[in-house]
Amino acid sequence: MTSPGPFAALGLPATPMLTDEQVRDAWRAIAASTHPDRDDGGNPGAYQAASAAYAILRAPWGRTEAYADLPPARRQPEDTAATPVPVLVPATEAVPRAVPPGIARLPARIRYGRPGHLAARVLAAAAIAAAGWLSGAGAPAVAGIVALAVTWLALTIRGDLAPPPGR
Amino acid sequence: MTIWWLIRLRVAMWALTAAWKVTKWAVTAAVLVAAAPVTIVAATGFTGAWLRGWPPARLYRAALWSLPAAAVYLTAAGLAARTWQAAARWPVLGWEGAFHDVQSGRLLTAAVRTAPLAVPAGLALAGAAWRRRIYHVETGLSGRTATAPVVFDARQWRRQARTARARVAVPATIPLLDARGQIVMGATIRAIGHHWHPTLTVSPAAMGRHQVIIGASGSGKTNLMIRSWAGWHAATLSAHQRTGAPRPLLIVLDCKGGPDSRLKAQRTRRLLHGTGASRVAIWPDEAAVSLWTLPPRELAVTLFQMIDTGTGPAAYYADLTQAVLSLAVTAPPGPPAGAAEFLGRLDHGQLAGAWTGHPAELAAVTAARPHLGDIALRYRTLLERLGPALDGPGAIGDADAWYFILEGTREQTVAEAQAMAIIELVAHAATSPGTEPRTILLACDDYSAVSGRVPLWQLYERGRSLGVGVQVSAQSWHGLAGTEDERYRIASTADGGIWLLRTPYPEPVSQLAGTRRVVETATKMLAGMWGDEGSSRVQHAWTADPQIARTLATGQAGYIHAGGCTWTQIARPRPSPLALPRAPGRPPVIIPPARPATTEPPGPAALDDAFGETRR
Repeated sequence: MTSPGPFAALGLPATPMLTDEQVRDAWRAIAASTHPDRDDGGNPGAYQAASAAYAILRAPWGRTEAYADLPPARRQPEDTAATPVPVLVPATEAVPRAVPPGIARLPARIRYGRPGHLAARVLAAAAIAAAGWLSGAGAPAVAGIVALAVTWLALTIRGDLAPPPGR
Repeated sequence: MTIWWLIRLRVAMWALTAAWKVTKWAVTAAVLVAAAPVTIVAATGFTGAWLRGWPPARLYRAALWSLPAAAVYLTAAGLAARTWQAAARWPVLGWEGAFHDVQSGRLLTAAVRTAPLAVPAGLALAGAAWRRRIYHVETGLSGRTATAPVVFDARQWRRQARTARARVAVPATIPLLDARGQIVMGATIRAIGHHWHPTLTVSPAAMGRHQVIIGASGSGKTNLMIRSWAGWHAATLSAHQRTGAPRPLLIVLDCKGGPDSRLKAQRTRRLLHGTGASRVAIWPDEAAVSLWTLPPRELAVTLFQMIDTGTGPAAYYADLTQAVLSLAVTAPPGPPAGAAEFLGRLDHGQLAGAWTGHPAELAAVTAARPHLGDIALRYRTLLERLGPALDGPGAIGDADAWYFILEGTREQTVAEAQAMAIIELVAHAATSPGTEPRTILLACDDYSAVSGRVPLWQLYERGRSLGVGVQVSAQSWHGLAGTEDERYRIASTADGGIWLLRTPYPEPVSQLAGTRRVVETATKMLAGMWGDEGSSRVQHAWTADPQIARTLATGQAGYIHAGGCTWTQIARPRPSPLALPRAPGRPPVIIPPARPATTEPPGPAALDDAFGETRR
């Protein structure tokens, strides 16, 4: 017996065109009805399967990977291999017109990068700056140490962000 | 002059020398203590570089990037002091204050006071000290034993490789493209003759020329190739969107075939979708391409070259076949639209009808009449064996990328003919005046499996004349071509660079990479001990050390280009997880799959007739 695949586990059509909201909504609906903490005991097997599927499908890239791993027979009829697979749909983060795309994409780049490492790095830089501030070493030295921390953060932060789309 | 006087002179000389040494060490120690913050930073930087295998350049760059902090400090000091004389004294006062802070136990305050100037100075000093240490060990001026340079080099390689592996383990640090649009291949282990950068980047223009990849099975060749394809596609598409340059068209010839090729094709497709490709066609499983879109004369030549014709007495039949093909393909009704129509034309009645009113051609048709049946049989066999995937209806330009799977291991003769036809189609796509211009990269994986009809050097020459970038991989030096002359011709014209992965015989590539001048020091031996006398001389060492190439781990590769070699840990390709904006412009073209074959494939005897002696 073969695995039903992550799309089937969440009751979603097998297509990479899904949006983050669709996947999240499907996951919430299944989690609410199958969670083991429910009075009726829920359905731990279905809950675990849905959790695993959500971990795969929550990001657009994961959806394209899962889609490509499906045998052609399980794909949506309009998404057979002979049909061109469309480019990914835009991210859920709506891009306001006035905001430059680079800044508008920042939340998504943080979310799909290494947010834990990023937080630790920012905290470290903030701690260095705060230590400088509290040391009583005088304004010029404090300014210098803050500049040092900011430079270090700016140079290293890129490694914790997901690359921009298409890279 | 007495002996006693001589002894006293000798003792005095020894005492003077000892005093000089002691004074020198004392002064050095005093300076190090006086500049304790710089000393601490330098020692930390030096130790870090030694442990992580960093080159001195990395410490210098870190020092450079610390200068803004020093500038901010000095500017703030100037603003606080209000006069330039007072501002000039500020660092000295801060230094002095730091020592008082240390005496009072306020270590943090002391560190903050001195850090803005001590960090850049200390890192620069660490870089200089580390460079000096490397120089001394490599040239034999330092180290306790004669093997010190070898041991040092091996240890540093291990550390450099470990650092590079750690870097590529973080996907976010190695995107497919950097901010300047260069293709990022992986983390640098060691750079010889190239400027050192933490990551190795390759210009998309280099991919547009010729590249050779040599690596044994399991050396990471596939990963390298797929990464380079995805990076090239992303870079070229980005250039298209920014500047209106031609769209990319990636053609991959996977010449081994089998299930592994299918998996590779799927993986390539996923990556290319992630970089903005809307249509990636996998041939022959999911999409077909039409050989019959070639211009009539090219089609006739291609069809002729696809079968074995022989020499000597057989040349007569070769000429005859060529003449019949030309008559069939260039007939006034126009070129055939498919295999069935072409085979239908290899009939006296049809050809005579088509050339009615052309006496010269009619005479040729009549002369060829006795042989038409044989020629038709050979081509029927050929086209049936080639399969329906070359019978349309797709065209090369319909997709952003084509992944051609040729069964070069299982059916070599068929794969050779297919490869030839596909190369002709690519050439036509590159030069056809009526079609959209495209930037084309033709990548051939294990091309030697199908190079029987189109030798690799010919493919190179062809690509050069067409403006098509050609990337070719082989499992070994000998897999590049049949003769040594051809191998050198291929490798020496790879102006886009040579990728050298683990291979048991890298010497020819190392020779092409050349040598660099190094200083070697010979130490004199005294009674079985290494003495303190010796001599140094300039020697030549490999730029791409073959011993390193032989012992590379999976995923490690040397990029030989422009007289240098950068050893790299190739990163597993992964495009940005962020969704791409919807592509503007034209909708993707739908290419239907190949029509199923209507007849059973012919038996081995008939195949030999079409393809020559079977090599299975």
